[in-house]
Parts: sequence; structure tokens; C-alpha cells
Amino acid sequence: MVKKGVPDWLNSSLWSSPQPPSSNDVVESHEPPASADVKSAVVESIVEPPVPVPPPSVTRIVEPPSSSVHSSTASVKGEIRDPLSSHNGNNNYGNTNFNNYNSEEENGISNNSSTAPIPAVGANTGAVVAPAASSLAEDISSQAQLLQELSRKIINMGELRRIASQGIPDGAGIRSTVWKLLLGYLPPDRTLWSSELAKKRSQYNHFKEELLMYPSDITRKLEKSSLENSEPYGESKGFLSRSEITHGEHPLSLGKSSVWNMFFQDTEIIEQIDRDVKRTHPDMHFFSGDSTVAKSNQEALKNILIVFAKLNPGIRYVQGMNEILAPLFYVFKNDPSEENAVSAEADTFFCFVELLSGFRDNFVQQLDNSVVGIRATITRLSQLLKEHDEELWRHLEITTKVNPQFYAFRWITLLLTQEFNFADSLHIWDTLLSDPDGPQETLLRVCCAMLVIVRRRLLAGDFTSNLKLLQHYPSTNISHLLYVASKLRTHVAG
Amino acid sequence: MVLVLALGDLHIPHRASDLPPKFKSMLVPGKIQHIICTGNLSIKEVHDYLKTVCPDLHIARGEYDEETRYPETKTLTIGQFKLGVCHGHQVIPWGDLDSLAMLQRQLDVDILVTGHTHQFTAYKHEAGVVINPGSATGSYSSITYDVNPSFVLMDIDGLRVVVYVYELIDGEVKVDKIDFKKTTGSNT
Repeated sequence: MVKKGVPDWLNSSLWSSPQPPSSNDVVESHEPPASADVKSAVVESIVEPPVPVPPPSVTRIVEPPSSSVHSSTASVKGEIRDPLSSHNGNNNYGNTNFNNYNSEEENGISNNSSTAPIPAVGANTGAVVAPAASSLAEDISSQAQLLQELSRKIINMGELRRIASQGIPDGAGIRSTVWKLLLGYLPPDRTLWSSELAKKRSQYNHFKEELLMYPSDITRKLEKSSLENSEPYGESKGFLSRSEITHGEHPLSLGKSSVWNMFFQDTEIIEQIDRDVKRTHPDMHFFSGDSTVAKSNQEALKNILIVFAKLNPGIRYVQGMNEILAPLFYVFKNDPSEENAVSAEADTFFCFVELLSGFRDNFVQQLDNSVVGIRATITRLSQLLKEHDEELWRHLEITTKVNPQFYAFRWITLLLTQEFNFADSLHIWDTLLSDPDGPQETLLRVCCAMLVIVRRRLLAGDFTSNLKLLQHYPSTNISHLLYVASKLRTHVAG
Repeated sequence: MVLVLALGDLHIPHRASDLPPKFKSMLVPGKIQHIICTGNLSIKEVHDYLKTVCPDLHIARGEYDEETRYPETKTLTIGQFKLGVCHGHQVIPWGDLDSLAMLQRQLDVDILVTGHTHQFTAYKHEAGVVINPGSATGSYSSITYDVNPSFVLMDIDGLRVVVYVYELIDGEVKVDKIDFKKTTGSNT
């Protein structure tokens, strides 16, 4: 397809109604394709998509498997009507070459099964007019797929990424575990989980103790080592005894190495963190308000950011980090497993570090103009738009002179958390995090998709209206957005 | 962890022109949460200066204060502690610990901060603790000429107070500390 102006696939009827299986596009890469075109499975020797789903017309609702990750696959099997004929084969899945495994969307059209392909339902990411029952069915199927994947001894990360990129259903609370796996916090080998978790959590607590101590406690610790513990109120009456201070440590000390002095210098950053945390998601009870839950959550967010700032003196704290932290903490704190929810703070810290490691450069001001900085990234977005939709690009940047920095800066640095409502942004993060090359590539594609979806309005608008539209992006169907983004991957011009 | 500065008896401009520069360099805004002043500043400019160090300022009236509207005594609660401040010239004999203890029982405070004698003292009795931060400028008192500039910084942390005593002796700042705990909270 030579692209001139609007790419054909944009205008195709694909979007207005769900598409029956048409061409036999085989997606070669093991990247999540999420294309509705792909219905027929090119099957390798063994494997089939693990969980086919009953057609939407079936009134019997499949019970979601128990949310416990430890649910045996047998129970999953028992509840899905179609027997997982290749189920046993799946257990040996580990190292099979799944590159040619043609992934289809969750409404698994399994060639083995006798159920007819479900024509009415597009991919999770493509169903604009999907009936509600089918999305429930999709959710259940992807949930079952995920659970099955998670219950393996050694989790196949590529497979997990593929499934996750199509969205993790909200119901079963597996998002927390999946995200931890995707971010590399949990190793793929399930037997190592408990030891890894214990190690990391104790490490975080150690950090907290070290870095969040008040100077008065620090000096007390120093003293304990030098003096013996004398009871201060041995006498009930009389002059209080004066004692020497250790190491010249007193609150007004101006010495560079003084604990107190450093504490006061950090106070500025702590104040800024405090302000930003209080402003995070003010509409959500989880984060904001006077309840003890909100306060303790805010406290946790603060601690994480403070520890991060102290451990990373190069980057410290920059406004916006709180927005990236918030979804992570929310997901981990709402983990149905009590043990995990309690240690959510420690888990979030490490995952936050991991996530930010890819995006650090966006937050460093000196790097703004460099090759890795935010400006370069925005330029890449602009290039991407130009490749896929030259007309829109021309109109935006040249005709109406909407500099992409005006809108894309926030989109990119905050990973789209501010553009959509919270639930939608979690969904987008599922896709972002499951990209094995790192979230940035997918992020740019999603941004491009965002532009393309509102192209009509953009083409009709001038500077003011376009800027307004892009800075207050209208709410859209997220599945549709992600679908378009994935299409951008396969339809590179040239 | 609340830092409370206690000082007083500066007698600026009558008996001293300013705080010692070494003290002034330490009193940087942003570190201290409250100031308790025993009085005898004596002029408004000193009041304004103290306000820049910390906006939460509590003053009791001394006999030489030109501002007549400061109260004779004042009480406030910081954390688990109740603090009281009074200049001390009203309590006779001046500096007598039993009489100050009586005042403390009247005000019902855990820590009483008084001045007037221009000598640092920290004394404990059953009802609580009496602290005299001395004179921050080292000005002469009604009793003696031999005065070292001094002030007090209290670090209140839960039920525990660490009192840092800053004195200027022979041109050098010396810091000592005193530790004491309260036995019960003052919530009821």
C-alpha cells in the first residue's frame, strides 16, 4: 500500500464494524499484533492458544478462575467449555519457538476447536462496536490466559508480554503481578519469587531507615555508641546536668558534613515532594482527602520519592515523577493478596526505579537538547506522524504551526497519565509496559495514534482550536486507540 | 521533630546594639518552627527581626519592652508538651526556683521559660522543668555585669526533649545539650 495522504487502512470499514476474517496476514514477529485481520492460526507443532472462549451468544457465563495466581490450570480447564486439548503440551511450552506462533486475539479462534470463528467480535483493541458480552468474554479469556501463563513454573516472558499488550482485565487483580513481571521486578522463575521479594523488601526498608531518619535520631544513635545510657530523670529535683554534644552536631550547625545541615538542605526537596503528592489525583479517594487510607498512601508516595531523590542526587526529584509513581502504587496496593498489598511501597519503589530508568533523560534539564533528551523524542514523534499521515503533519506543524512541544511534552514525560482517566491510563500502561523494547517506542506510537484519531477535527481547526483539542484530549475508546497504535507498527511507510 | 528557639533579654538598643554575629549567622530562617521570647527585646525592630527567623513568635512582656501589648504570661502547646513563658521580673525573689515552680504550677505547663536574671539555668522539679535561656546579647542585668550571651534551642520529639544550650564564651560558640523525657502524654 503506497501511502499518499490518508492511509487506506485508516479509512477502511475496518473501524466502523467488526470485520470477519479476511486476509491471512501472518504476523511474523512475536510482538503483540492485535490485528483483527489475523484470524487463522498458523500453528506450530504443538501449541494452540490456551483458552478459546465460548461465543457471546452463550448465556452461560464462564466463571472467572479464582484470582489466586496459584490456581491450578486444571481448574481453569474445568471451567472453560472447550477442552484444552493441547493443554498438556502447553506445559512444555517454555522454550518452544513461538516466533511463528500466530497470535490471535483472545476470542481465540482455535483451529482445533469446533467452535466457529466469532465473526462479530474484533480484537480487544479493535472493537469499536463490540457488544458488551463479547468484551466480557474477551476479558475472561485473556484473564484465563494470563492466569495460566502465570501459573507456570517458569513464565514465558514473551508470551506474557503478548497477552498483556492486549490489555489486562481489571477483574482478577492480576495486573499487579503482571506488571511486576513486565518490569523485571519478579524473575520469570516462580520458585525464586519469595526469596527475591523478601530480599528487595528488606533492602527498601533498609534504605528508608537510613535515609528517612531525623537528625535527632541519627545523633542519638551516634551517642549510644559512645556514652552509656544514663537515665536523665534519676533525680526528681535539681539542676539538670549538661552534657557535651557529639561531633559538634547541633541543629543550627552550619558545617557541611553536619547531619542537621544536610537535613535542612533536603527539606526543600521534601517540601516540593510533599506539595506534589498532595496534588496527585485529587479526584480519587485513594490518593486524596482526609481519610487515613489516603493519608497513608500519600505518606508512602512521599517516602518512595524521597528515598529515590536521596539515592539519585543527579536527578533528585522533578515534578511529574509523582504522576508516574501513582498508577504503580495504586495497582500494587490493590493487589488482592494481603501480603503483597502490605509491601506495596517497597515493590513500587523498585518498579518505579525500573520504569524511570528508561525515561530518566526526559527529566534532566541539561539533556533537553541532546540526542537523548525530550526534544529529540518529540522530534521523533513528529517524524512518525509525518511518515504515517503526511497531510495531518503538514497541517499541524506548518499550516497551523502547532509546535509538538506544546502538547507532546506532557504526553511523553508523564506517560499519558494526564490525558485520560485513571482506568484508561492503566490500560494504556498495560500495553506500554509489555513492549520488550521498552515503553518509549510504543509510547510514541500511541501518541501518533492519538493524533491520527482526531485528524478530522485537527484538519478543520486552526492554531487555537487544535492546541486546545490536543491539550485537553477528548476521551476516546482506549481499545480503539491501542488498536490504531498497533496498526502503525505494521504499516510503516516506505 | 519540632525546633523551638528560646531567647530573651536582648535589651536592644539600650544595653546592647545587636546579637553577636556568630549567633546571628546561625539563626537562619527556615530551620526553626517556633520562637519563645522571654521579653525585654526592647524595640519593634528586634521583634521584626525575630519574625524573619520564624513567623511563629511568642513573647511575654519584660519591664523594658516598649511594646505594651505583650502579655505578662503566655502558654502554648507544642507536640506533647505544654510550654509557658513569662519574663520573670514579676516573680520575687528573682530567679528563685521554688517561686518559679509555683508559677509553673499556676500555669500548669511542663516547661516554663523565664528570663530576667540573664543567667542560663535548667532546673527540674516535680511539676516540670524551668529553663532560663539567659541573655542573647550578653547585656548586663539588674543583678550582675558578668553575663555571657546565650540562648536555647529545644528539639521536641514526641515525649522527649533535647535542649541545646548555645553560649558565647571567649568569642567562641559552645554548645551543650540536655536530654529529658516526660513520663506521660498530655492529651487528657
